[in-house]
Amino acid sequence: MSRIVVTGIGVISAIGNTVAENRTALQEGKCGITALSLFPSKYAGLMPFGEIKITTAALQEKLNAKETGVTRTSLLALHAFVEAIQDSKLSDKDMRCFDTALIGASTVGGMCLTDELYNDANKSDGGSDYLASYDFASVNIYLQERYKMAGLVNTINTACSSSANAIMYGARLIKSGRAKRAIVGGVDCLAKFTINGFNALHILSSEICTPFDEQRKGLNLGEGAAFLVLEKEEDVKDKNIYAVVSGYCNSNDSFHPSSLSDEGDGPYLSMKGALKSANLSATDISFINAHGTATENNDLVESKAMLRLFGTTPPFASTKSNTGHTLGAAGAIEAVYSILNLTHQEIYPGLNCKEPITATGLQPVQAYQKKSLQHIMSNSFGFGGNCTSLIFSTT
Amino acid sequence: MLYIHQSTCISAQQTFLDVDINTLHEAIDNKLTVIEPSYESIPPGILRRMGKAVRIGVGSALPLIKQATSLDGFIIGTANGGMEDCIKFLNQIIQYEEGVLTPGSFVQSTPNAIAGQLGLFTKNKGYNITHVHRGLAFENAIIDAMMLLEDHPENNYLLGAVDEISAYNYNIELLSSWYKQEPTTCKELYHTNSTGSIAGESAVTFLVNGDQKNAVAQVVAIDHLHTNDIAIIENQLQYLLQHHLTSGEKIDVLISGENGDTRLLKYYTAVENITANATVTRFKHMTGEYATASAFALWLACELLQTQHIPAHIVKKQVAQGTIKNILIYNNYKGTQHSFILLKKEKD
Repeated sequence: MSRIVVTGIGVISAIGNTVAENRTALQEGKCGITALSLFPSKYAGLMPFGEIKITTAALQEKLNAKETGVTRTSLLALHAFVEAIQDSKLSDKDMRCFDTALIGASTVGGMCLTDELYNDANKSDGGSDYLASYDFASVNIYLQERYKMAGLVNTINTACSSSANAIMYGARLIKSGRAKRAIVGGVDCLAKFTINGFNALHILSSEICTPFDEQRKGLNLGEGAAFLVLEKEEDVKDKNIYAVVSGYCNSNDSFHPSSLSDEGDGPYLSMKGALKSANLSATDISFINAHGTATENNDLVESKAMLRLFGTTPPFASTKSNTGHTLGAAGAIEAVYSILNLTHQEIYPGLNCKEPITATGLQPVQAYQKKSLQHIMSNSFGFGGNCTSLIFSTT
Repeated sequence: MLYIHQSTCISAQQTFLDVDINTLHEAIDNKLTVIEPSYESIPPGILRRMGKAVRIGVGSALPLIKQATSLDGFIIGTANGGMEDCIKFLNQIIQYEEGVLTPGSFVQSTPNAIAGQLGLFTKNKGYNITHVHRGLAFENAIIDAMMLLEDHPENNYLLGAVDEISAYNYNIELLSSWYKQEPTTCKELYHTNSTGSIAGESAVTFLVNGDQKNAVAQVVAIDHLHTNDIAIIENQLQYLLQHHLTSGEKIDVLISGENGDTRLLKYYTAVENITANATVTRFKHMTGEYATASAFALWLACELLQTQHIPAHIVKKQVAQGTIKNILIYNNYKGTQHSFILLKKEKD
């Protein structure tokens, strides 16, 4: 069986509009979590967010995306999508052929337009331009129609693990012969829906988040998008190969609708299953891009699960301290970051952890370093106990 | 490789446990709302907190969970998940101007709350996924299950689909012309000369594995496409039939997703013309229109294969035939999302 490899990447987040900008920001330990300047919310002055400082109108202009009903979510997706397909040098013909699949994830979809949705849902006549744009699938259907894609298209929503599952699903489609290549990723943008939802759960921090710190006070929401182009190694020919998608596993914690169990069975089993699917042992993992949201629950449980599986844990960090938690985009953004780790043989520092969690003593990587890296694990855990771990390897 | 062993369905008709689909339950105010069971095995405290989508999704799965000897995961298709809770929360955000809100509706509105709750109930730590690709959410869930069973034919999965009518998404669909403005009964649905359909919802669950023995049916092929070009749909269907029917075999019954929307009739007619020797049946007068209606069609197909009886009210065109062996489901959501599901009878 031919290996499944990554031949194109694209990302936009609060720390940069391109892969190159994101890498520079990660190297410099830049934090993109700031006061809101574009998104109107009552919480604007009360807590920081990983906001992308480009207006929706400017994105429309830049991407020449002036179709009726296009949302900020779709625009962010398009931005990263364009970068990924250009990077992989996919032709119009490649995009239109029936064996190019698109698997995207989003937890907000067009619900970023909270006020418009409210009005349309309660109105008896008229209706806005966005009637067909509110659902999760609207983003991928927009990309599909724009690029006249004839292959299999799917949208996945498993909360914060959504785009990790989209990557896994795309790899499985290729493996099963249902697609020759798959463009996989995810997107979410800031929305009153998620800001108020996470706030009601009391897991938003009023300060910049501090993943894996004993004094952590919760997460910061962010926005962003990332896409990867997956292909079979034998089909790649002379293209650049970034990395191999070598392992993946989804497992359910089956404990609580919105928090992880003390034992962390879900995280433990997803990491363990990913190792098994990659045919690797724990000692083979060079670095972990942790889920690390900086909530009290996640970071403790994830640390315990890492200790349980690895004994001595490999170096790890959470890039949520750079970008904020981008929900349905997080798995894909962090997959791109893991690929940057591998491609450049470098580790980026986890920010803001001054005092490791007492119960585990685990501290994320503190400084930028060059390092020999072969296999990187990336974790994404979501509501409903949904846990997914991916492994990317050097070629 | 995908064999259906058991199925359950909570719908607007009498489809749950004590099945009687010969009698038709009428729509009220252009909505076909599900007949909910009593959910005796769900603890009242948990039941109260569940939104409708989660409740009917879990409710339809429970009888299969009880009988299953082992389960390896849950694969759910839902376009919107808990829409009612979603907009309830949205209304709170606007009405209380982002004030102090309760998180219950937010958590329940996440589409993967259904699969998550099923995992939680069964303490199942296996694969757990939610496909939300609008009118092809369930079709993608089937493909997912097929891929899993190709790798692990010995595994058992619960494959399901849930979508609910909420007052708010009803309004949005009505404004977008996907539901009819004029009062319409189920019986006259196919005779209205207007756009749109009537609203519907259901929760359907299948126990699937790779074991042919004692199976009700095999899902032989599934295909979905996004187009408004009839020629592409016709070609796709011809290709599918050529590759999956042996010579001498034919489609015995076509289950058509015809929904009373004049804009979509041409697609259904084109498919009927290709499967000209099949008895043509319709089901949207039983369910109404919604994104995962094809899951009801698959449940109905299993029912027809098992009972070898076609209720009179679903027949559009009768063709004399022996045993029902091959069933083709063709569904079309909003004119652009099309799917074919080909099913073969297994157990006698």
